[in-house]
Formats: sequence, C-alpha cells, structure tokens
Amino acid sequence: MFLETAKLAWRAIRRNILRSFLTVLGVVIGVAAVIAMVTVGNGTTARVQSELSRLGTNTLFVRPGQFGPGRASTEAKRFNDKDILAIQEQVPGLRAVAPMNRGTATVIAGGANHSSSVIGTTNDYLVAQDWDLSLGRNFLPNEDRGSQAACIIGETVRKELFGSANPVGQNIRVSNVACPVVGVLAVKGQSGLGDDQDDTVIMPLKLHQRRIGGTTTIGSIILSAQDGVATSKVQSDVEDLLRERRRIAIGREDDFSVNDMSQIAAAMTGTTVLLTGLLGAVAAVSLLVGGIGIMNIMLVSVTERTREIGIRLAIGALERQVLTQFLVEAVMLSIFGGVTGIVTGLLLAFGVVNFLGVPFVASPTIILLAFAFSAAIGMVFGYFPARRAAQLNPIEALRHE
Amino acid sequence: MTLPPLIAFRQVSKFYGRGEATIRALDRVDLSISAGEFVSIMGPSGSGKSTAMNIIGGLDVPSSGEYLFQGIPTSGFDRAQLTLLRRHMLGFVFQGFNLLARTSAVENVELPLVYRGMDHRERRKRALIALEQVGLKGREGHTTQELSGGQQQRVAIARAIVTDPAVLLADEPTGNLDTKTSIEIMELITRLNRENGITVIMVTHEEDIAAYGRRLLRFVDGRLSADQSQIREPDHVS
Repeated sequence: MFLETAKLAWRAIRRNILRSFLTVLGVVIGVAAVIAMVTVGNGTTARVQSELSRLGTNTLFVRPGQFGPGRASTEAKRFNDKDILAIQEQVPGLRAVAPMNRGTATVIAGGANHSSSVIGTTNDYLVAQDWDLSLGRNFLPNEDRGSQAACIIGETVRKELFGSANPVGQNIRVSNVACPVVGVLAVKGQSGLGDDQDDTVIMPLKLHQRRIGGTTTIGSIILSAQDGVATSKVQSDVEDLLRERRRIAIGREDDFSVNDMSQIAAAMTGTTVLLTGLLGAVAAVSLLVGGIGIMNIMLVSVTERTREIGIRLAIGALERQVLTQFLVEAVMLSIFGGVTGIVTGLLLAFGVVNFLGVPFVASPTIILLAFAFSAAIGMVFGYFPARRAAQLNPIEALRHE
Repeated sequence: MTLPPLIAFRQVSKFYGRGEATIRALDRVDLSISAGEFVSIMGPSGSGKSTAMNIIGGLDVPSSGEYLFQGIPTSGFDRAQLTLLRRHMLGFVFQGFNLLARTSAVENVELPLVYRGMDHRERRKRALIALEQVGLKGREGHTTQELSGGQQQRVAIARAIVTDPAVLLADEPTGNLDTKTSIEIMELITRLNRENGITVIMVTHEEDIAAYGRRLLRFVDGRLSADQSQIREPDHVS
C-alpha cells in the first residue's frame, strides 16, 4: 500500500516536472548552501590545523624568560652553542634542533631594496618547519660554520629584488653584509596568523651573530619531535636539561619557557568551528524559507487538483489515503530537493575549496542531517496542504473547474 | 421474509443556507428502489434531482429524514463510513467523465482498486476485463487526452463497474456527447443492467435518454411529482 502511494505521488510529480523542480528550488538552494558552507568551513579548519601542525603541534619553541597570560618576560640569560649541543646529544626523539636569531633588516640587490625579516639559523630550521626549497640548495657545512657567507631567500623577497629572474648565484646585501643567494624557499603563503611567511631571508647563525646581531648568544630554539614521539615528553626532557644547565635551584621557577603549538592550534580551530556553525545557521534559515515555498506550491497544487481529489474521494479514497498521498508527495519532493541540494552543495564546495586551496572535507554528519531535515520540511510543510486536500467536500470538489 | 429495498428514502429533506435565504432542495421525499432496477430521474434545474443523487451516492447527507441502504440507516455514518459505502457498493459515472488527466485508461480503471489495497497483478487483470466489457480492448494504454469523449465515458464506466458495485450512479452520462455516441453509451449501460444485474440510477434532462430506464422519477421543486414504470421496445436495445 505504501509503495502504491509512493508510485501515485511520483506520478503526480512527474506529470508536472518543471513546476515540481521550481517548487523544490528553495530547498535545493538551502541544502546546497548548508552543505557548501559547512564543507568549505571544514576544509578551512583542516587547513588551519595542518598549517599549525606544520608549525606545528610537534614543534616546541624554547625561549628565555617566562611568557604566558599575566606574566611579563623577565630579564633572562639567552642560550648558547653549548645548550644546542647538549639538547642534541641528551634529548631523545628529536628530528631537528634549530637555534634562531631573528631581526629585521634592509635587503639590497642591484638598485632594489626591501625590508624583510632576517633569520640566523641552521639547516635544521628548514627541517623543523617542513620547508622545502624551490631553487638552489641548503647551506654547506663551511657556510653553517660561518666561514663563508650564504643566504636563502623567500619568494616575496625574490619577487621584490629580482622580479622573475633566477636569483641563485646573485649577490645581495643584508644590512651591509654581502651575501650570495644559494637557494629560494618554496612558497608557503600566509601563516595561520596572517603574516607573509615568504617575506624572509635565512642566513647561517654564525654569520647573523657576527655581522648583524653582534652577539655570540642565541635568542630562541626551535625543536621538532620525531613522529610518534610525545611532545610532552620532549618538553619535560628539555626543561630538565635546561634547568640543570642554567643551575636553577629546586623550587624556583624556570627562567625560560618551552611552548608547544597545540594550545594555540586548539584556539584557532575553535574559532573556525564557531564560524562554520554560524554560516551553517544562516544557511539553515534559507532552508526554512525553502520549506515555506513548498507549502505555498503544495497549497496551489491542492487548489489546482481539487477536481482530481474529488474524483478520488468519490470513488472511495478515505481522507487518510488522500492525506497520505499528498504528504508522501511533499516529502518526496523535498527529499528530491534535498538530494539535489546535497549534490549541488558538494560540487559547489569542491569548486570553492579548489579555488581557496584548502582540502575538501565532506562531513557525513551534515549530509545526513541535511537529508533528514529536508524530509522533515516536506513532512511539516506538506501536512497543512495535505489535510486541506483530504477534507475537501467531494461534491464541491467535483464541481470545481 | 422479504428483502428490504436496496435504496430507501423516508421523509428525506435537504436544506441549504439558513433563515430567509434557506433553499429547500428536497422536501420530505419518500422513495424506494429495488435491486436490479434501471431508474431514470428527470426534472428541471433546482428540482432536487442532483441532491437526491448525491444523497444516494453518499456524497451528501439529508438534513432530516432517513436514507437507508439495504435497510441500514445511514444517518449515523461518518465521513469514513460513507466513503466505505461508496467504495464497496457504488460506482459513479459523471457528465464530465472525470478521468485523471495524463493517465492511461487502464490506470484510471485501476484507481478504485488501489484504494481497496488490491495487489498490482489482480488489479491489472480486473481493469483489463472491465475495459473489455465496455468495448475498449486495445486502447488500455491510451491516456485520457488520446481518447474521444465517448471512449472517455466508456473508461469512466469501466472504472465504475470494476469494483462490482451494487449500484451504478450516472449523472448526466451523455450530457457531453453527441447523439450517436449517446446511444452507444446508453446501450452499454442498459446491457450492464440487464446482463450483469447492476442497479442503475441515472439523472438526465433528455427525454429520449430517460426512456432507456424502466422506471422514471420526476422531481419538481424538491418533491417527487411522478413515479412511473415504462416499457421500452426490446428492438431499441441491441
């Protein structure tokens, strides 16, 4: 019996296929909007997450002084080469240990000049950051030791100074230090925090210390744990080691900090999740509007098919059967709209995601939810017209032109 | 013990509107129709013939008096019970055919069986038999638009008889048809009455159509003004 009703409903829909399609357009657009918004939102969340994890969640930042909420940095001793060596030798599970001194300097090549962030570090920095080169090479051992000048530049610096020309082998001046370009960093784009990561010049730590910083100490250390090694373990190992090396008495606070990115990652993810939810809610309102559209057309349809309903009632259709027929028709229509909307939304999201360069993360939960919701819309907004059809007076319905 | 009449009116009245504007469509009508009869009902517009027909068909209920079907009073029937009466006992043929548009002949005929919950194969079988009975073999798949008026009315008759009803109610069945087609339809209805024993009650305003009935009821101003038997020459019926 239900199959029969479904067949009857399908026939009624097919008899007026264009109008049926226009009827559900509201639901199609609503569902498509929800699916597209949420899918793109999920993709963005996934990208922020992966970016932060590249920074990353298995990366630790070691800095002198204490940082944190409600705490100012205190004057604290910087690190030195021996600290680096000690960490490399005594802390297990590390993939990279990169000392880092950072500053801003004017970079000149030919007639062009550009102000950029300048980082003094070692090859380990690129390992810790998962950063590849698009041109040229890493630092050679003699360059790492500081006996020879060398620079690796970011894409933005390359564009500013060399345009589209190949900069490898060219000389640049960084704060009056002459330095041949040996490599170009792969494009990384904006960071999760919004700054241009390609606007940077990397040089060996020794060169930076001697010629730019005028120091022999190290400002901060970036550590990268091997895959499968808990960062919390590495964190406590490094803390223990540094407390010992810096001779901090038991019971006294660290005069340095070891932070990992996972907390920041959680905060960032939370923001995009909230945003996704809000966009989804806005889209859900359009679904409601779509539902009202269905009710409107179903009411028109009932009026238009008054005679048909009269015939059905006269030849022995019970009120309940007419009600079911119209209800099934409405639900079928809205499910049809829902499925079309899901497909459209996914296609739309796929396009947008490719355009934005974020991963395509389809959420089965939201697809199921959209499907169930569209069926429910048919149920709710189809009920009133269906009841009206079922309660028609057959005599008047038959007389209706 | 005698069987009660198939259809009986006891002092049936029907009013429309209220107060000054009250229209008395039926005024204390007594009526009795037995199984197997072929009754024609005539009368000018507003005479109450259509109202009487609607009450017999369970589409309307009397304002006062009692309508008995097979001796059972229907005054306590609710909408669903009246529907079941129509579904199991009555078949309708209308002036305007009232077929479902864009639907094939056989699907139209199957429709009353769908509501009875009959399975698809049985339904199709019975619908094809009914279509054959009305002389539409070979046109089962034609949609309403592809059939002439006479053919559409035949489909409507097939739809009315497919459920094996006790009574066939025909409301101006030839009103939209030309003379030749009208005769064909009336001959079909007469045959169903004679050969299948279906009781026929037909409303018409044409004397020569009414002449096919073996009993003629005339309504004037909501009252039954004449009730006469009529014999038709057998050679008129093929």
